[in-house]
Amino acid sequence: MTDPGATPVISVRDLRRTYRKGPTETVVLRGVTFDVRRGEFVAITGASGSGKSTLMNVLGLLDQPDAGTYLLDGADVSRADDDARSALRSRHLGFVFQQFHLMERSTALENVMLPLLYVADDPADGEARAHAALNAVGLGHRLTHRPGELSGGEQQRVAIARALINDPSLLLADEPTGNLDERNGAELLALLRSLASAGRTIVMVTHDAGVAARADRVLVMRDGQLAATAR
Amino acid sequence: MTAPARPPHARRLWRQARLSVRLLAAHRLRTVLSASGLVAGVATVMVMVALGRGAERRVVDRVRALGTDLLVVTAAPAPRVAGRVRQVATTTLLRPTDAQAILDQVPRARAAAPAVHRTLVVRADGRNTTVAVTGTTPDGLRIRGISAARGRVHDEHEERERRRVAVVGPVLAATLFGADDPIGRELRIGTTPFEIIGVSRPRGVDPGGADLDNAVAIPLETALRRVVNVPYVDALYVQGRGTAELEALEGDVRVMLRERHRIRDGAPEAFTVQNQAVILRTERAAARALDRLTVGVAALAVVVGGIGIFAVMLISVRERTREIGLRRALGARRSDIRAQFVTEASLLAVAGGAGGVAVGVLVTLLGAALASWTLVIPWSAAAASVAASALLGIAVGTVPAARAARLEPIEALRAG
Repeated sequence: MTDPGATPVISVRDLRRTYRKGPTETVVLRGVTFDVRRGEFVAITGASGSGKSTLMNVLGLLDQPDAGTYLLDGADVSRADDDARSALRSRHLGFVFQQFHLMERSTALENVMLPLLYVADDPADGEARAHAALNAVGLGHRLTHRPGELSGGEQQRVAIARALINDPSLLLADEPTGNLDERNGAELLALLRSLASAGRTIVMVTHDAGVAARADRVLVMRDGQLAATAR
Repeated sequence: MTAPARPPHARRLWRQARLSVRLLAAHRLRTVLSASGLVAGVATVMVMVALGRGAERRVVDRVRALGTDLLVVTAAPAPRVAGRVRQVATTTLLRPTDAQAILDQVPRARAAAPAVHRTLVVRADGRNTTVAVTGTTPDGLRIRGISAARGRVHDEHEERERRRVAVVGPVLAATLFGADDPIGRELRIGTTPFEIIGVSRPRGVDPGGADLDNAVAIPLETALRRVVNVPYVDALYVQGRGTAELEALEGDVRVMLRERHRIRDGAPEAFTVQNQAVILRTERAAARALDRLTVGVAALAVVVGGIGIFAVMLISVRERTREIGLRRALGARRSDIRAQFVTEASLLAVAGGAGGVAVGVLVTLLGAALASWTLVIPWSAAAASVAASALLGIAVGTVPAARAARLEPIEALRAG
């Protein structure tokens, strides 16, 4: 085995994805190739319809490429079956969504503990881990609050704590600031920045160039391909 | 890359169940509404079974109270089927000597006694009431279980001497004399005065529902000569040596009576033999048939309840599409989602079944307390209801669960 530090977290080669709806074919990804190194904070940006969301879904193992390879932590996952992808999502990936996607009737703590239901670990220390995760995002004082009792910024931080509870190799954030006002958005980006500084690998999709600029590296999607890589 | 090991099934099921309980508790109103059909169905079944078992027990108790080793020969032809009624039924005239003959010639008979029955007005202390009057020998009293709670019953001497002595039932005693001691007091049956020598022990009601304690018993000969004025009796009580032998005894008694009354072979009998063992068996069979009917109704009620849960589960899957998408993104496999909804449906059904049992038991207890139902709580039916509910939940949860599991995570996350 090679030094894990040297293996990219993400290594995609010539990813292609075509949607078929009846006779019409829509080519969404036309050969995407890039790596993300461990500890990198990468933004994927582009106009709507550029394919960035599809790329995100493929990276998140929610969608499968028609062609090309996707190595996650050095293992080829591009042809993994549904159960295997589920298991990989629970172990290796953490998701942050634009709409937060919190369970309205559950407390912050319960929301953060949700992913534990689908991993092999005995969740005996689950509550302690969830508590720690909420502390890490600055919500140690909001454990028993329900989403409705939290501000948008707080809700998104609960979602980040949830994404990190299983200590994933990769944090995938899809327009994480899309539903936040400027101040809360800035705070959230600061939180992502500090996570990246602490060694967390983050891929963030955004249409906002200002948000993308906070990442270490920006990948610009245009018409299903990477147009440029900016530092 | 292989999928990481999963926790054992039992533990996963437990975690799933806890989660489902929390979700059901969170959606309290929907949970209650969806289970209410099953609650009503199971409660109805419980009450029906309780009523059926109660009725069965009452009948069996009454038949038993008379003794299951008893034949009652009555001087009336067995009911004829329509169309044969034209053949005028001749009534066999049973005489007291028939009882003695049975005792002498049928070894299977342990005891035999003749009896007359009338419903007559009795008077005492200025009050009058209509009661069942039985004239029978001391043996007859023993066979019918008439014994004295206070005072005594008549003996062979009084029987032979045609003494005007009477044993009153406790209900009749209370009607005529209230709390006063009736022993030694006068009682008129029709116009004939009798001396009350005893009050019988309570005997309850007979299989026909008549109150055996609102009655008076007098010596047979007294009854024949002073009350009914005929030399014939209405019934012969024949006691066998056990329930098992009763049918053989019945055959013996029939043969003997046909001979004594010169009924030709093939001619219809002009008497009826009532076999307590057969009555008991018949009542039991009827109760079992009713039980089968109840099971049918139960199945129907439970299916209706199941449809309610099915509908609510389908709605639930639609409403929670985003939640399903989220769970899939967080690592739930299709089978995890399926297990979640099946577990939820069966928990809902079990809760409904258990609720129905609780309501049914409550109604039965209330009925016993307020409406004097015979209290029988059918625990076997309760257990069966809950078990059937669990299976039902799994059955009706399968389709909604499959629908939930089929959802594609991306589309599910975008929903609503």
